[in-house]
Amino acid sequence: MSPSYTFRHPLLVRRESASLTMKFLAPLIALGVAVLFNLALYVAIGRDPVAVFYALLIEPFLSWASFSEVLLKASPLMLIAQGLAIGFRAKVFNIGAEGQFILGAIFASAIPIWFPAATGQWIWPAMLVLGALGGACWASITAFWRVRFNANEILVSLMLSLVAMQVLNYLLVGPWKDPEGFNFPQSVMFQYDALVPTLIPGTRVNVSLLITLVLSLVAWLLMQRSFQGYKLQVGGLAPRAAGYAGFSESRAIWLALLIAGGAAGLAGAAEVAGPLGQLQRSISTGYGYAAIIVAYLGGLHPIGIIFSALLMAALYIGGDNAMVSAGLPIAAVRVFLGSVLLSYLISLAFVRYRLDWASR
Amino acid sequence: MTKVITRRTMMKTVAAAGAASAIGGQTVYASEEPLGIALVIPSPVGDVGWGHALAAGLDPVKAAYGDKVKVTIIENIAEGPDADRIMNKTVADGNKFLIAGSFGYQNGGLQIAKRFPDVTVLHASGFKVAPNFSPFAAKYFQGTYLMGMAAAALTKTGKLGSVSAFAIPELITSVNAFTLGAQAVRPDIEVSVVWVNTWFDPAKEQEAASALLAQNCDVIFSNAQDTPSVISLCEEKGVYAFNLNSSMVKYAPKKYLGCVATDWSPFFKASVDAHLAGSFKGANAFLGVAEKVVATVDWNADIPAGTMTAIKDSEANIAAGSFSPFTGPITKADGSEGVAAGATMTDDQIIAMDWHVKGVVTPLPK
Repeated sequence: MSPSYTFRHPLLVRRESASLTMKFLAPLIALGVAVLFNLALYVAIGRDPVAVFYALLIEPFLSWASFSEVLLKASPLMLIAQGLAIGFRAKVFNIGAEGQFILGAIFASAIPIWFPAATGQWIWPAMLVLGALGGACWASITAFWRVRFNANEILVSLMLSLVAMQVLNYLLVGPWKDPEGFNFPQSVMFQYDALVPTLIPGTRVNVSLLITLVLSLVAWLLMQRSFQGYKLQVGGLAPRAAGYAGFSESRAIWLALLIAGGAAGLAGAAEVAGPLGQLQRSISTGYGYAAIIVAYLGGLHPIGIIFSALLMAALYIGGDNAMVSAGLPIAAVRVFLGSVLLSYLISLAFVRYRLDWASR
Repeated sequence: MTKVITRRTMMKTVAAAGAASAIGGQTVYASEEPLGIALVIPSPVGDVGWGHALAAGLDPVKAAYGDKVKVTIIENIAEGPDADRIMNKTVADGNKFLIAGSFGYQNGGLQIAKRFPDVTVLHASGFKVAPNFSPFAAKYFQGTYLMGMAAAALTKTGKLGSVSAFAIPELITSVNAFTLGAQAVRPDIEVSVVWVNTWFDPAKEQEAASALLAQNCDVIFSNAQDTPSVISLCEEKGVYAFNLNSSMVKYAPKKYLGCVATDWSPFFKASVDAHLAGSFKGANAFLGVAEKVVATVDWNADIPAGTMTAIKDSEANIAAGSFSPFTGPITKADGSEGVAAGATMTDDQIIAMDWHVKGVVTPLPK
């Protein structure tokens, strides 16, 4: 019997059944809450909130030029997130997509850097294949340590990302530095045939977007329709049941990491062979980490990820727009991105749980 | 907060624009709309440093033109596809005057210049030129030479150090001139350099400074850091330090050796004038003491009076053009001849300098 004057903390209680309507409404409610919160923030820092939200949320979709940039940014996010989600569903937490992305970019760059005079339409496809291989190789280090010595794959893959960055730095200040580049740490500009062909004329969107969409479909087939996907999911949901059924855990770990690494590597290759056109230090502005958010925002489902990648990319482009057009400081843009994700996670929690004030 | 950048009377012309106005030939825009000026920089504007100096350089332009110009500053933009998009966006928003504040924006900025002939692009630290695209750089070496003279008078160990951002000619010449200035006062001076390969990583810069202090360097040159990371650490350790771009004396009241300050306003103002007059002509703008873009400020009172007099004399000679730090004989770090006795390096040679002078003990990254 608790005395009546004690403060009762509410408890989070799992709902018997989550409402399907709420599940779909949750992201919209989250966006609404975040928008209101940031509205107050912009008024507080003396910016015109209407101008900011116009630039942030509307403008990316108004012109083809703007929307093409959303597609350009969404492609690597989508590709990496598809790979990661497969692992996450099998409870293999590869946090090192950033490093796998960088290694993909490095492997792909080897061709134009070693053969700058080579011509032919074989170059860019070969670069993409090499990139996927590079990412998979980097991820295989994590898989090996996990399977062989049971080393935590979160730590190993994350720390390997730092190593990857140093490998990139070494190449750029050392053997792969552009001899004409005034000692600046960047490679030569790639030749024309080393660039992925443009998909939509007049924009920077290239054929790699198509590859990403096709691979998203493949991810859907694998996870929702194949026995292999079923085995991975069982391994994630009920590892012991998977063990009794004779599904090999090490096989699942290898598969999950190689797929994710390959996807991230391919994304890295598409980035250097796409909008960058050379290997440089800032090849990734955190795609590997942002893709983790994209994967979870998309509910770890291949179709959900297509939409969450587009949303995330639109927010990035909108954030840039708001900086340019509405004079928003970059810190406020990041607060907006962060508050969208935070309120999404909170609303998602309320879809699955309810607050219980009474029972104690 | 004190505005630390010295504001000098604006000059009517600077070298680049002076040459430019003679040629002309572009369309004159007599529109009613204010001229949109966008500045894109890789690091935060902050209170000091490179980005701050660029942003402050636009203040006199704003003061002179009032509501005839509209300045937008976009900070913290990584070099790469994002920077390209953001620069394109500024132009799409109607800005006709773009200042690309980092070497890494070169290709993106050049593409904009080619695609939009009515847009003027100024690009920091680069080497490519187009009719509406001017690279600009400061002759920091003129100031670091003077700092070297002061450092040599104050050092006890004879070892000086530099935390340097990237081994690009702009920063190599700064280190070289610093070394030559120090050797002019004390020939046995040695200079160690740590190349940190970043424009903005305060923790890494402090580590580099600590490493130099551990090697008994007792005057430190913070070569192109955007924060007082190195300066404040040196103050804490009781070691003299100086930096480029804008004064950080408030972070090191005791041990601040001085500042090789840059004031971009004469150049920005002249370029905007030329753009509005339709006479802008892309040219390599390499600007120093004579153009009042580079100046030394906030000298430490510990510097002996005799040395200070010598420094002021040298500064006057540099301004007058009768002296250059890169006058032979200069020996390279590998012992071979760099500049013959009596010869002086041309601007083109200085812009492409890729070797250390004798006395810089750290090999240049190859």
